[in-house]
Amino acid sequence: MSLLEVTDLTVGVKGSQASLLRNVSFSVEPGRIAGLVGESGSGKTVASLSIMGLLPNTLELRSGSLQVNGREMIDCETGRVERTSDELAMIFQQPRSALNPTMKVGRQIARVLRINQGMERKESRDEAVGMLSRVGIPGASRVAEAYPHQLSGGMCQRVMIAMALSCKPRILIADEPTTALDVTIQAQIFDLILDLVADTGSGVVFITHDLAAVSEMCDDVVVLYGGQVMETGSKVEVLDNPAHPYTKFLLDAIEREVDPRIEEKDVNFGLTGCRFGHRCPHAFSACANLPPLYEVTPGHAASCFLLDEELTRGAAATD
Amino acid sequence: MWRYLGKRLLISLGTILGIIILVFFIVRILPGDAAVVRAGPYANEEKIEQIRERYGLSDPIVEQFTRYVGNVVTGDLGTSIRTEASVTDELMARLPASLELAFYSVLVASMIGIPLGIAAAAYQGTWIDKSARVFAVFGSSMALFWLGLLLIYFFFFRFGWFPGPIDRLAVTTLAPLHITGFYTIDAALTGRFHVMWEAFRYLALPVITLAFVLAAPILKMVRAAMVDTLSADHVRTARAVGVPWRRILLRDGFRNALIPVATAIGIVFGYMLGGNIIVEFLFAWPGVGRYAYTAIQNNDLEALQGFVVMVGVLYVVLNVVIDLFYAWIDPRIRLGQKVAA
Amino acid sequence: MSAIPADDFHEHEGGGPFIPPEIDATAQRASFVRRKPLAAIGIVILSVYVLVAVLGPFFVVDPLTTDPSNALLPPSAEHWFGTDKFGRDVFARAVYSARLDLSVGVAIAMAATAIGSVIGVIAGYWGGWVDEVMMRLTDVVLAFPGFVLALVLVAVLGNSIPNVMIAVGAAYIPYFIRLTRAEVLTQRELEYVDGARLAGNSRWRIAFRHVLPNSLRPSLVQATLVAGWSILTVAGLAFLGVGIRPPTPEWGVMVAEGAPDIITGQWWTALFPGGLIVLAVMAFHFIGDEFGGEPL
Repeated sequence: MSLLEVTDLTVGVKGSQASLLRNVSFSVEPGRIAGLVGESGSGKTVASLSIMGLLPNTLELRSGSLQVNGREMIDCETGRVERTSDELAMIFQQPRSALNPTMKVGRQIARVLRINQGMERKESRDEAVGMLSRVGIPGASRVAEAYPHQLSGGMCQRVMIAMALSCKPRILIADEPTTALDVTIQAQIFDLILDLVADTGSGVVFITHDLAAVSEMCDDVVVLYGGQVMETGSKVEVLDNPAHPYTKFLLDAIEREVDPRIEEKDVNFGLTGCRFGHRCPHAFSACANLPPLYEVTPGHAASCFLLDEELTRGAAATD
Repeated sequence: MWRYLGKRLLISLGTILGIIILVFFIVRILPGDAAVVRAGPYANEEKIEQIRERYGLSDPIVEQFTRYVGNVVTGDLGTSIRTEASVTDELMARLPASLELAFYSVLVASMIGIPLGIAAAAYQGTWIDKSARVFAVFGSSMALFWLGLLLIYFFFFRFGWFPGPIDRLAVTTLAPLHITGFYTIDAALTGRFHVMWEAFRYLALPVITLAFVLAAPILKMVRAAMVDTLSADHVRTARAVGVPWRRILLRDGFRNALIPVATAIGIVFGYMLGGNIIVEFLFAWPGVGRYAYTAIQNNDLEALQGFVVMVGVLYVVLNVVIDLFYAWIDPRIRLGQKVAA
Repeated sequence: MSAIPADDFHEHEGGGPFIPPEIDATAQRASFVRRKPLAAIGIVILSVYVLVAVLGPFFVVDPLTTDPSNALLPPSAEHWFGTDKFGRDVFARAVYSARLDLSVGVAIAMAATAIGSVIGVIAGYWGGWVDEVMMRLTDVVLAFPGFVLALVLVAVLGNSIPNVMIAVGAAYIPYFIRLTRAEVLTQRELEYVDGARLAGNSRWRIAFRHVLPNSLRPSLVQATLVAGWSILTVAGLAFLGVGIRPPTPEWGVMVAEGAPDIITGQWWTALFPGGLIVLAVMAFHFIGDEFGGEPL
């Protein structure tokens, strides 16, 4: 059974037809890292916030299911995600602003330990220092007494990870955890996450816009564009044998060392058809509808009508 | 941190000097013969000449000014033309009454404004938020004298729940021994609890009048500050790790909104130092505002000038105190440097 | 290596996640009343006030005629707001007051806005020592509650309607200086200013023809609130016997004259005119608040 099973998740703007996520499905297995890849506005952050139950008031869950360990997280009456922190934890992009500026970092971690593991005050203080040294912070007892503004960005991200680990999560969501950090620090944080998966067997949802990071870190890949899953499968399958025009386009852009932003147009979130349709060189009449996921090989699927043999034959005939 | 405070202190001293200059020039340079204005409408030539002599009004303006600054710096705010008493002494004798009124008014206003502001921010866009907003508009457009009269009419004349608008205690009650100047505290300290109770009853109507008006800006600023902190990344983190919403509101939200909240309360307290002229007049409260009122009625410009300088200086001092408070609550100011790389 | 641009869902915010642009067209079509209900209420109330101020005096009795035999009569069909201790009709006096109070309040707000904006543009656009001196000056003036400053100015200038207007206006000018200056500081960095400069416009021309009109919005919103507060301040001064004096029909004067009656139970002489002040100020504030005005 998957640790996290997201099925047909649809998220929209309240009081509007626009949807920011459309029938997004993917899953995370124990001890594996799933990369959620996409450019700006692809919906990767909205997806992670939905899973955490942190959607802002302006957005709403429209449909779909979120199962953690086989347990449904969406309350069918309120349409909201129940509190999930005992199973899930999240680390954020800007580690320094993600920490409370007027609270010593040791206390922030101790607070999480008290809430999620029911520790006593004294015990939680000691354990917080233990958590800090576990994420590779030298002089942990001294750092525990520091405020976030006294620590470097990399240090803050380690604190953030220690805090997330204090929830003993089965699944860790890492939302671009290294974009604000130096390249050398980035490698250290990656190693930390890899160690963690090896130690605890947790699953990780690794959100990034960086395909290099994906090839370094992930076991599985979910490619998102415009709130729609374009392609999903194991890293090797998707990167070496891409089936979707968008994935091919991304890989090609890296090869040619061009910035895909140059050709990027705003995504139309009101669109009913394939969201990549207006940029796709192979778009044809069928693309006015939402394509389902077609299996390429077992475990590897792409959402593109080009994979539908009947349709492509028909299209070829009308051309 | 010391550099920060030193800079603030220097600016404050400059502002105080500016206050003294401004008041001096308003009172002296504006049209009319200073001696005639001071002497009042019924004075004869002899009296006017006497005043001109006594206050050195025929001296060159620069000389008058340096003398005035010298006096103010040594704490001498001049001599009342009508009572011939030291303005400093008269103000100091009345200040505790005003401060007691101001203190309880700001306290009650905060007790109304802070929870409402937090609730409005926590339930943005709901009916709670909307009613808080209408309440704030009500408060900020309320006329103190009208609200005061309304309360006097109902709670004194109609229902008789509270004493009439006369002084801090009944005429027959002996004022408590002067320790802090706050009757409520002094009475409690000397064990005269019935006097303390009476002092509270006399405070009630003026305090409610002021608190209703003062709660509005506090509410608005608390709400704005809370909306700001509640949308901060670290609040999202606290939610992500399962901190209960009530704890988030206070520890992650309100605690980080304290600086703007303290500013709000400081501004409101500063506003009180002058805004209570109306309330002190209406309730016959023997404070500095009532003194200023009497000074105006008597055309006692020296006394009025002393009052205004005091109000300005108190306001600046209050701001320095608020700055110290910032340094205390915000570790980013308190501890400048990094301890770990 | 990394090819896809950073997710700008994060760049949008210091805090909450990305809020997508307004797509809903129905919300935009909704009427003004629906979108800004408080402002609509304020406008309706003020319209009634203006109507009464303009036409009212033609329909009521003389506000100054005393009639000792009819003193302190409670409200009735003949005297809607009762009579005061001189037997004058409170309603007639209140109607005449509307004319004076409204025009004084609006005039003060307009004058303070105009003067404050011009000084604010000079401070903000010129910068340097001009700005520094202006800011320190406003610091000094703002150390006094506006009411106290106005009180002292009237005490020195003497009791008259123009003097009250000067005094109250002077107390509010620093707020407009600050407000305009802050707006100018952002405006002067915008492209149209560079454009105007390249087109060969002089410094003065750019400051007053281009930057000033574009920096006025916050001041105009604030002016609505200040119009309300000016009415409140003028009435408050009159209540203390400063500025506008009896027997002039003015709401604050009426409250001052009627206040002693409260203790003996004749509430109508003070509470009616006072209530009219509060309602008028509230109407101004409903409008200002909806357009984002801030309390001083």
